[in-house]
Amino acid sequence: MESRVLKPILAVYTLLFILFLYGPFFVLAILSFQQGPEGGPQFPIIEWSTYWYRHIFGLTPPSRVAPLPLGGALFRSLTLAFMTMVTSTVLGVMSAQAFRRRFRGSGVVFYLIVLGMMVPGVLTGLGMSLLANNILGIERHWWSTAFVTHVVYTFPFAFLVMLAILNRFDSSVEEAAWSLGVSPWRTFRKVTFPLIFPGVLSAMLFAFTLSYDEFSRTLFASGRDQTLPLAIYGTFSVEIHPNVFAFGVLTTVFSFALLAVYAILMTMSVQRAKKMALQEEIA
Amino acid sequence: MSNTAAAAPSTNTGKSSSWWLIAPGAIWMALFLVAPILLIVYVSFWTQTTFKIEPTLTFKSWQTFFGSDTYINSLWTTLRIWLIVLVTTFVIGYPTALFVGLFVKNKTLSTVLLVICVIPFWTSFLIRVLAWRPMLGKEGAINIILMKLGIIQQPIEALLFTELSVVIGMTQIYVVFMVGPIAFMLGRIDPNIIEAARDLGADFWRIFRKIIFPLSLPGVVVGGIFVSVMVLGEFATAAALSGRKVNLLGNIIVTQVGSLKWAMASVVGVILTVVMGLVIAGFLRIVDLKREL
Repeated sequence: MESRVLKPILAVYTLLFILFLYGPFFVLAILSFQQGPEGGPQFPIIEWSTYWYRHIFGLTPPSRVAPLPLGGALFRSLTLAFMTMVTSTVLGVMSAQAFRRRFRGSGVVFYLIVLGMMVPGVLTGLGMSLLANNILGIERHWWSTAFVTHVVYTFPFAFLVMLAILNRFDSSVEEAAWSLGVSPWRTFRKVTFPLIFPGVLSAMLFAFTLSYDEFSRTLFASGRDQTLPLAIYGTFSVEIHPNVFAFGVLTTVFSFALLAVYAILMTMSVQRAKKMALQEEIA
Repeated sequence: MSNTAAAAPSTNTGKSSSWWLIAPGAIWMALFLVAPILLIVYVSFWTQTTFKIEPTLTFKSWQTFFGSDTYINSLWTTLRIWLIVLVTTFVIGYPTALFVGLFVKNKTLSTVLLVICVIPFWTSFLIRVLAWRPMLGKEGAINIILMKLGIIQQPIEALLFTELSVVIGMTQIYVVFMVGPIAFMLGRIDPNIIEAARDLGADFWRIFRKIIFPLSLPGVVVGGIFVSVMVLGEFATAAALSGRKVNLLGNIIVTQVGSLKWAMASVVGVILTVVMGLVIAGFLRIVDLKREL
């Protein structure tokens, strides 16, 4: 049978494929330890050093390489991602909750929401800047126009995650609470929300990371003040130095830290759910 | 729906509460997604002068677009790069999807492999684009390795700041969107069908042509739509890896907005939207997704 020959070939191919996905980043990580400030963004490594990492934090003596404008940008990116996360998760939970019953126009509304993740950032960004600049006549800021455009992008993700969770949700526990005379809001807080919490956590993670990384929408919709991706984009046109690589390594580490926090919270909520189930069994 | 029946007693309050729950999200999307996109169409007919733009309707920007070689060329470049990247992501991605979706019988292992493919997305998109610069440059990793291996004597200069580098970069960034849906569809194939075909004496190539590939086609279409929408709306990869030599429609929009030529940017935006609509419609003609998924 050919599959005996084919399988090892495909396995080797998949390995090469993964190398293709990871290769550039490894090269970037290696070059971030280039000697500074004379070492350029290419091989060979003159001498291993952490110069460019110190350069990012402003711990090196001034040189011809200007420091990346990161301080304010980091603050703005984190704040924007947080605002986007909260708003799109709340909207996502509400909309998914509404979709548990069929209502008139639910099909149209579904496509309306999902459209937000399908339309490329160039178009939503352009449209939003037209709206702000030519119709409303307001200035564009990262906390206003860029914020609403980010939510347009992340809200569909939160919505779909919540929809998937609520589809598997057993509504008899809610009905039990209602029949005991518990108010709908209290039922949601005490019964529904704890049960859908893992989904909420995933929706938050999606929204935060997508917004933190979002670039094309921000480029159009935010004003003068840069977010982190815009600061990186600013280095594209000029000569690049290994400090951009060091920064790339640091943001990646940050993303993984975020993922770790998510994993810990997720495990905790699953364990708590297990504990509760166990207590119920005993009682 | 079963819970509609269960909630029957509270139908009245239920209906109105559905509306209250959906209203904020729907209004948000209408105001900040649909209205801005319609506005692009409207502003593309505005009158642009050097210093300002007025809402007097005219076809002038449209005539400028179709009368200019620069703009028409960028339309062709966009379509060319889109088509090339679509083919490369498919050709490079399909074997991996085949391995992950069909040949790996262990579900955990195939999930792990998919997660490994997705992990790079945790790095900033721009950093992933930028990472190709030290790979492809004249003194880059690829040239060094090829020269050490003795395959080439002189470094290949055509690797960076050309159309090729844009294609390589985009392929690496978007190929996973092709692998995922195809692997998903392949994973759903009933192994008994393949077993039966094999028992009837079909060789692998024939099984692939008659069973595996047709059944994976919905995955190819979904992956193709993902890749197409993202590549057509691209500009950052071209800006970073082509040294401003490759101008996609997205790059034109960025420069036009940068110089406050709103009407022209809108014209390009409308053309981009039309191209995307045609591409998606074309893909959906291949497979009826609603039936297949």
